[in-house]
Order: sequence, then C-alpha cells, then structure tokens
Amino acid sequence: MARVEMQSELDDLEASFQDAGTIVLRSIRGAVDALRTQDVELCDEVITFDDEIDERFMSIEKQVELVIARQAPVAGDLRLVLALLHSTLHLERVGDQCVTIAKLTKLASHLDTKRAVIESLVDMGERCVEMMRVALAAFGERDAERARGLHALDELVDRANRQVFGDVLGYVNDKDALEWGMRQLTVARCFERIGDNAVDIGEQTVFVVTGEFVEFTDASHDTPTP
Amino acid sequence: MARVEYQQSLDALEADLQELGEVALRAVRGAMNALETQDVELCDEVIAFDDEIDRRYHQLEKVVEELLAQQGPVASDLRLILAVLHNAIHLERIGDQSVTIAKLTKVAADLEPGSELVEGLTEMGERAIEMVRIALDSFSARNVERARSLPDLDDLIDRVNRQVAGNVLAMAHAPGTQEWGLRMIVVARCIERIGDNAVDIGEQTAFLVTGEFREFADASH
Amino acid sequence: MSTELDVPPTNAEGDAAPEIEIDSRRMGELAGASASDVRSREAVFRIEELSVSYGTSLALHGTTLDIHRNAVTAFIGPSGCGKSTFIRCLNRMNDTIPDARVQGQVLYHGRDLYASNVDPVEVRRRIGMVFQKPNPFPKSIYDNIAFGPRMLGMKKDLGERVERVLRHAALWDEVKDRLKENALGLSGGQQQRLCIARAIAVEPDVILMDEPASALDPISTTRIEDLIHELKREYTIAIVTHNMQQAARVADMTAFFSVEVQDDGKARHGILVEYDLTTKIFTNPSDKRTEDYVTGRFG
Repeated sequence: MARVEMQSELDDLEASFQDAGTIVLRSIRGAVDALRTQDVELCDEVITFDDEIDERFMSIEKQVELVIARQAPVAGDLRLVLALLHSTLHLERVGDQCVTIAKLTKLASHLDTKRAVIESLVDMGERCVEMMRVALAAFGERDAERARGLHALDELVDRANRQVFGDVLGYVNDKDALEWGMRQLTVARCFERIGDNAVDIGEQTVFVVTGEFVEFTDASHDTPTP
Repeated sequence: MARVEYQQSLDALEADLQELGEVALRAVRGAMNALETQDVELCDEVIAFDDEIDRRYHQLEKVVEELLAQQGPVASDLRLILAVLHNAIHLERIGDQSVTIAKLTKVAADLEPGSELVEGLTEMGERAIEMVRIALDSFSARNVERARSLPDLDDLIDRVNRQVAGNVLAMAHAPGTQEWGLRMIVVARCIERIGDNAVDIGEQTAFLVTGEFREFADASH
Repeated sequence: MSTELDVPPTNAEGDAAPEIEIDSRRMGELAGASASDVRSREAVFRIEELSVSYGTSLALHGTTLDIHRNAVTAFIGPSGCGKSTFIRCLNRMNDTIPDARVQGQVLYHGRDLYASNVDPVEVRRRIGMVFQKPNPFPKSIYDNIAFGPRMLGMKKDLGERVERVLRHAALWDEVKDRLKENALGLSGGQQQRLCIARAIAVEPDVILMDEPASALDPISTTRIEDLIHELKREYTIAIVTHNMQQAARVADMTAFFSVEVQDDGKARHGILVEYDLTTKIFTNPSDKRTEDYVTGRFG
C-alpha cells in the first residue's frame, strides 16, 4: 500500500517537473522570437509569464519536501527526488535568464539592430531550445547517453557566444552600436547560461541512472567565455 | 543513531555549510582583489581553488543524501537539511561566479583598464561580499529580520551595475579600454549574481524559521 | 584502527577466561578502509558458508560474512528469509531444535563455535540474546538481574553490579526505589530494558537481538535504539529487524536476506543477498533485489 502511494507521489512530482519544463521551453522560445522580431509586447509577455513559472517552482519545492517527509524515500527513489529538486532549480535559473533576455531586448529595442548579431543570437537561442528539449526528454527516459551528449551541444553555444563578443568588439567606435552591442553581449551570456543549465539537468539524469554524480563540465576547467 | 548523535550530525552538517561559506567568500575576495590589482597569478589561484569549493559542495550533498536515507527526517529537521542543501547550491554558484570574474580579469589583463570602472566594480564587489557575510550569519543565527535586509543591499549593487554600463559607453572614444570595458560588463553581471545568490540564502533563513518559502525579490520586478 | 588484541572479559572473580585465540589475520586486510569504517575492526564472528536445514528442508543457504567489533550489524529481509535462523546460529540457540542441522563454520574470535569441546552455556553467556517479547523472570527486579551472575559464581559486589547494568540499560532511575518489586509490574518498554540489563549483567562480549522493539510503542522503540547506540561502545551488537528504517537508523552494517525459490518451484530458503555499510545499502545498493526491498517494491 505504502509502495503504491510512494510511486504515485514520485510520478506526480516528476510530472510537475516535466510540466514546468514545458513552460520554460515556451519561455525560451518566446524570448528568442521576441529577439528575432524585436517585438516589445512579446518581451512583456515573457516577463510577466515568469510569475507563473515561479509559482510552479515553489509548488514543486513544496512537493519535494512533502514526499520526503511522508514517504522517506531511499536509494533510487531518493536519488530521483534529489535530481528532480536540482533540475527544478536549473529550470528556475533558465526562467530567470529568459526574463533577462526579454528585458534587454526591450531596453535596446529603440536602437538599430545589426542583423548579423541578431542572427547569431537567434541561432544560439534555438540551440538552447533544442538542448532543453533533449535534457527534459533524456531525464524522462532515463537516457544517460543522450544526457551526456548535451555537453557537445553546449560547446556550440559557447562558441557562438565568443563569436558574438568578437562581433560586438567591432562596434566600439560607434556609440549607439556599442550600447546596443553591450546589451546583446549580456543576452548572449544568458543563452550560454541556459545551455549550461541544460547540461546540468543532463548531469542529474546520469546521477539518477548511475547513482554517481559526475560533472560534465566545470567552471574552472572550461575555456574562458566572455 | 541516537537522538544525541542525530542532532550532532545536523549540527555538523550546518558547520560544513558555514565552512563552505567561508571558502566561497575567500574565492570572492580573491577574485575582487585580483581584479583591483590586475594580479594574474591571483586569478589562477582563484580558478584552481574552485576545485576545493566543488569538493566540499559534493561532500555536503553526499551527507545530505545519507541523512535523508538513514534518518527519515521530518518537520524542522527536514527544513534544515533542505535549507542547507539549497544554500550549498547557492554557495557553489558564488564560487563559479568568482571563477568567471577571475578568468575575465585574466583575459583582460593585458588590456588598458579604465580606473573609474575598476572603482565601481570594486565597490560592487565589496557590497556583494558584505551580502554573503550577512546571509551566512543570519542563517546561522536564524535571524529573519537581518536576512530581509539583503534585497536593499542588492539594490545598491544594481545601481552601481547600471553606472558601470554607462561608464563603458563613455569609453567608446578611448581606444583600447573598450574591449576591457566590454569584459567588465560581464564581470559586473557576475558580481550582481553573487548578490542575488546571497539574497537566495537569506530566503532560506526565512523558510527555515517560518516553514514557508517566500521570495524576497524577483528577477522580473 | 585498533591493533589491540582483545580478549573476552574475565569473570567477576578475576578468574582467567578460557583461552580463545584472536584471529588477527583480517585486521588491516581492508585496504582503504578508514579508521572510522567498522570494517577495519576485528571480526568478532567469521561466518563461512553457514547453512541451516530443518530435517530435509533447507532454511538458510550457505552464508558468509564477518561481524565486526563494537559495530551494530542489522539483518533485514522479508519473512522466511532466514535472518532469525541465522542469528540463532551465533549463540547456538539452534541446538535446542531437534532436527536442526547446521553446516559450515562459525568462528568466534577465531575459534570454532560448534567444536565438540565448546560449552554451550559459556557460549550463551558471552553471546547474550534479547528476544522480541520481553521475558523477565517472575521475580523481583533485583533478582532478575542478580540471577545470572549468582549462577556463574559472580557474587562479589552484586549490588553494585545490579546498579551498574540498570544504569547502563537506562532503567536505573525508574526502578531504583522499587528493586524488590516484581518485574512483571513494569511496562513493556521497561521489561525489555530489564532483559537487556539482564543480558549485560553476565559481562557478555556480544549481544544478539531478535526484533527487540517490535512489541513496543514508538517512544520505547526510540529509547531502545538510543540504548543500542550507547551499548555498542562496549559490546558487539547484532540485531534482526523487520523495520528497515530502524536498521537505517541504528546499524553500521546491514545484511539483506531474501527468499529464494528452489528448483522444484515450491520449496523456499533464505539467502544472503547483500552485506555492506548501512549507508551504501540505503543510498546505492549494488543488488537490484536490495534496491527493490529498501524502496518497498518487494512483495
């Protein structure tokens, strides 16, 4: 009887996590679209939508606390709960990054855009969407191999980030372009952080499957990113 | 495990967290010093030091897992363990932010620095360090009021952050410093994130004491 | 890691205990085991391919494991897994069952527990047992404790001994003013602590417990668990429990036994599945059967 309850609570918790993941994916897509089309209204939507995301996260955290208190999960069940907790925190980070991207897009919307940079950023954004999709799917399927593959995808995002930095450097003599460029640097960095968080969710998948936590990447061992 | 030993393990867990906090603070201080003095060797030390932070962080996570598996904690014990877990995550992030600051300082080391900007960043850094200190102290003292003071300090950081952006723009006409300035925008953001993580630690104090989790401040507001 | 060669205690008169060699081969065997890791301590019991049959029916399949000094070792598993049968081999309680056949080897401090020249009474003094249902004698509290020592000729300072073990069993304060009262008037939890005190009164080396708290209320259970934690400083403790969380809380090492169906598809016997640090068993066990059991998926 207790086992049925436990499994049911674990399933609910995981479903809440995947729901939150779907919503965060929407947020990333929204931020990318707003950036591509320079759509200020869409920016506002992404920003206000964040409140709903935060509510969901708080609800998941509460669920985690209750599952642990009521069911005292151990071994694989406990790893799953802890992985869901960590992964939810990563999703929360991603939500915050989307808000920042939207705010900056809004802030810089009155300035002229440089098509090339926008395209690089949109490309980064689309990679991030893909990475997040893969991360969520790999977790749901307990696919450690697929999760590990995220690291390689992340390299592409990091490379694009450096590319954007190089492009913006080219604008230093034009004040308006520089101001716009500065904002985009931060946007690029936000995408890069979204990629990192997707990788982190991948690490949690491997933890659930193997019982061991291994970092795919580490801040101090990465090649420097601007 | 007897009740006495159980309590001791909870105390030890909290002590581990405070130690992780001290170590993370060292990293922030190191990064800010390196920035101020353009000290590349110190940058390398900060970067290498992150392994220590990660080691402690993973060790703490392991202890949390074991306590949860073996003791079946509930109520305030469980809240304590979860709060410690969250705070460890925030401290590990603070460590990562410090590494990024150090890496950027290193990358920008052979560029011309803009002195006003350095001052602004140093001030931000001091605020951030103060915030982490307050966050850790108020957690240990279970002082919710003090924890609630953190968002105001965070506002100060935000204000200086905006000034930094203005400064970088002003550097548009001074060749050489611009690239340095652009790097520093990211550094400023890192410092800001350290402040945010300190606020998050403060929120855990409130959670621990009240049993309810409420955000003090929010990215979109 | 202790290098002290520990000899079972002498009796109260100071007479030398019968010679028992300490098997120190395994001290230091565990490369990499830290000082606080109980596996680096002397093996009080070395059990090798121990199997038990009742008549022609196999109850417990060949089991091999070491029980370490001053550790709490828990045996968990579903009904019929042989854990109680196993623990009863450790102090030859199975001797009392007519068609029980014990095969394999139980070395106690390096000596064969079942050798023909071993005195089973002495075995049960050194390796005491506490049962699920408290079973105090229908005597006074004092006499319950004093009985064993008196029988063994440990008459010196009997009053002190009684007080000492009652304190040790966390019962003294509750009974000090009514030592002459009948033990049957005590509550269930108190009676169980009395039985523990009785066991330690004869200066055992090991205390075996078969579901010591399952007949008790939750608060008494907590007190017994706290007591076990205290007692392991002086004694080696092995405990059978059906309550997994209890094993998780009190034990240093945990052995998971399960039920295996024999080739005929009907007969069942117990089998040791996994034996490791309790931490490992409850965070990341090696065997899927263990994982299924501790997460409640079993049966």
